[in-house]
Amino acid sequence: MTDANEGSDVSRRDYLKVAGAGTIGVTGLAGCMGGGGDSEGTTTDSGSDETTESSDGDSDSTTEEDSNYETLEVQHWWTGGDGAKAAEALFAGFEEAHPDIEVNQNPVAGGGGQNLKTVIKKRVLNNNPPSTWQAWPGAHLQPFVEADKLKDIGDSVWSKNGMKDAYLEGPKDAAKPDGKFVTVPINIHRLNNLFYNKKVVEEAGVDPSSIEKPSDLTAAMKKVEENTDAVGMANQTKSAWSTAQLWAQVLLGEHGTETYRAFTEGKVEANKEAVKNSLSIVKEYTEYFNDDAGSISWTEANKKVINGEAAFFHQGDWAAGMYRGQDGFEFESEWGQVPFPGTQGVYALNMDSFPMPKNNPSPEAAKKFLQYVGSVDAQERFNPKKGSIPPRTDVPKDKFGPFLSRQMDDFANSDVQVKSIQHGLAIPPGAKSNFGDAMSTFTSGWNVDKTYKQLKQAFN
Amino acid sequence: MQRLRDVLRRLSPRRGADSGDRELRADGSEQTDRLRGSSELRSDGGVATAEETPTETGRWQSLLSSDFVQSIPFWLPPFLLMGFFVYGAIGWNLVISLTDFEGLLLPEYTVSEFDLEMYRRALSDPSFWTAAQNTLVLLVAFTAVCLLFGLLLAILVDQEIRFENTLRTIYLLPMSLSFVVTAKFWAWMYNPQIGMINVTLRQLGLDFLTLQWISNPDTKLAAVIFALIWQFSGYAMVVYLAGLRAIPTAHYEAAKVDGASTAKMYWRVILPQLRASTMSAAVVLMVFALKAFDFLYVMFGNNPGPAADILATMMFREAFGSNNWAYGSAIAIVLFGMALAVVAPYLYSEYRRGEL
Repeated sequence: MTDANEGSDVSRRDYLKVAGAGTIGVTGLAGCMGGGGDSEGTTTDSGSDETTESSDGDSDSTTEEDSNYETLEVQHWWTGGDGAKAAEALFAGFEEAHPDIEVNQNPVAGGGGQNLKTVIKKRVLNNNPPSTWQAWPGAHLQPFVEADKLKDIGDSVWSKNGMKDAYLEGPKDAAKPDGKFVTVPINIHRLNNLFYNKKVVEEAGVDPSSIEKPSDLTAAMKKVEENTDAVGMANQTKSAWSTAQLWAQVLLGEHGTETYRAFTEGKVEANKEAVKNSLSIVKEYTEYFNDDAGSISWTEANKKVINGEAAFFHQGDWAAGMYRGQDGFEFESEWGQVPFPGTQGVYALNMDSFPMPKNNPSPEAAKKFLQYVGSVDAQERFNPKKGSIPPRTDVPKDKFGPFLSRQMDDFANSDVQVKSIQHGLAIPPGAKSNFGDAMSTFTSGWNVDKTYKQLKQAFN
Repeated sequence: MQRLRDVLRRLSPRRGADSGDRELRADGSEQTDRLRGSSELRSDGGVATAEETPTETGRWQSLLSSDFVQSIPFWLPPFLLMGFFVYGAIGWNLVISLTDFEGLLLPEYTVSEFDLEMYRRALSDPSFWTAAQNTLVLLVAFTAVCLLFGLLLAILVDQEIRFENTLRTIYLLPMSLSFVVTAKFWAWMYNPQIGMINVTLRQLGLDFLTLQWISNPDTKLAAVIFALIWQFSGYAMVVYLAGLRAIPTAHYEAAKVDGASTAKMYWRVILPQLRASTMSAAVVLMVFALKAFDFLYVMFGNNPGPAADILATMMFREAFGSNNWAYGSAIAIVLFGMALAVVAPYLYSEYRRGEL
């Protein structure tokens, strides 16, 4: 018994040794293959096979405008709520305008677009992009432009439909990350908002429109907490982005557009005082945040405004979508909005856009789609549902409701439009990620000096 | 540690005796021995035919009929698949970490330009050190407390109590939940205003203990570790329970006859025999700790902040947030090295004991 046992044991252990050696061998081999091999073979995206196949046949015959179009593959992250309804309206409209183009929506849900961004990066790296996709314009597209992955659509799209006249300077600027038009913005969410619960501020005797500077907001919140049961400001600090947004508005309101721009260009040290001062102001705000800010989401924070547990709330105007969905919580009677203190005449942009990639599987269909996205019809269908405003200034207001109509007026009459930092329009992804790190440091401990040091290094 | 080793050394002759009388006495083990014997018979038969063939038809056929060749269909396909998709991917990742891959242009894989720049960058990056430190704290604290807690539970459940199966299921259940679920509801429980934990503390009159658990940087990591312990101590319990059940009752009785107190009995007699259980549970728990990414991602998004950032979240952020692919790969390799450092000693000790 023991003999047989040992025999089999030895051989088994020999196998183990062989297997170990073999594994190392395979690892090395695969490593080399991965290193040397070309990358196109390695993608197996759902849907990507289809597009590559169809693009093979037709890439030569695309000169004829009226010939068959290839399937248009559009990827986006509008998979739920307002976004889904808006996307549905957009694609329905496109189908009416171009019944001959087959559309393959290939949405990727989740993570505030994080998941889609990952998918897109992978596909673009492999030179297998979709026809177009939902992307933040501006600096977010800079890596794509640097890698020469996007096509100049200044003539083919932007000179149609009077787009160049209908878009204001800010959105146009964001559509040209490197001087050439490469993408078409479809919507604008405003960032410099201060929402408030009307009953609470009235009870407290505060007039939001009279607050002139971010630093004065502290006094208003103090008054709220003295005179009512509500907290001064609802916020969430569980993840840093809301506070990052808030800080950007404070910088904008307290120190002006020029300082804000200088910061986005990486001139942090030159604006040391302004940056530190605005951080300190946000730190003062924290005393008036709800106690559970660190463990709730922004929707839960917004609920506090609806329930009258908080007076003020800073957020992009997607927050108004929740008010719209709440019965008995109406604009002007129950809630109100003013531009964030100190930012009158400024429209802080957060946009979504559709870029035009090179090596497009369906260049003609994509061109038609982008032209459509830039049209009045598309933006009139999409934006009321999304709760955003159209970047074109000639879209009729009747479908937009009182709040968005007012935002549209503000936009059309704005002196200047600045790009969002937190949403990647103003600073490229690498710097944005470092900025996010700095802001996470800030939200855990509210240490102004430490955060400033990290912000200073964010642009390196 | 030294003490533990002393204890083990003192115990080792006795351990030999243990295994001897285990074979004699425990009916169950004898039976398995017999079973093992019969299976060996069968395999012996196979070997016997293999020995006969070479004399008749030569070496080629003996090779064909050897165990190695005949077993190829069973182990080769998974071996190749694993080799390519798991170890190949790791290898490729290593290669990427040696390049300067950034942005949206594929890197040039020129061997002459491979360098360790990304690792140097990691070493001089303070946020890497914070993340590494958090990872280590998480790894050690989580594993140690989980094992301790699991052991206590296992000893208690082993006292032939009523509803033993029910209790065992209750303790094990959290492990079957996904990180996403547990992260969500621990976030609710940690809510400083309406969360269960602070509400309970207030009910008990312990108001001074009500903290902002997951936003206060001092308690953030501890809160995360606590939630993870809640989820996985049941697993440690089950492993220990199996270990305890394998220890024959005679050992308890012998210890009692010799006049050992309960504490002494467990410390001197029972615990040393749970070495294998501890090893295997510890390895699994440590690997879970390294993978705590899901939990943190669901709770805090891709940036948990310096207080709770671990290497896994940092790697994700660098690669997929900032397009620093090579740097992300380097962090991944460091993480892989840590996982290997956890698993390798275990595999080696199993190998040396002839159990692998």
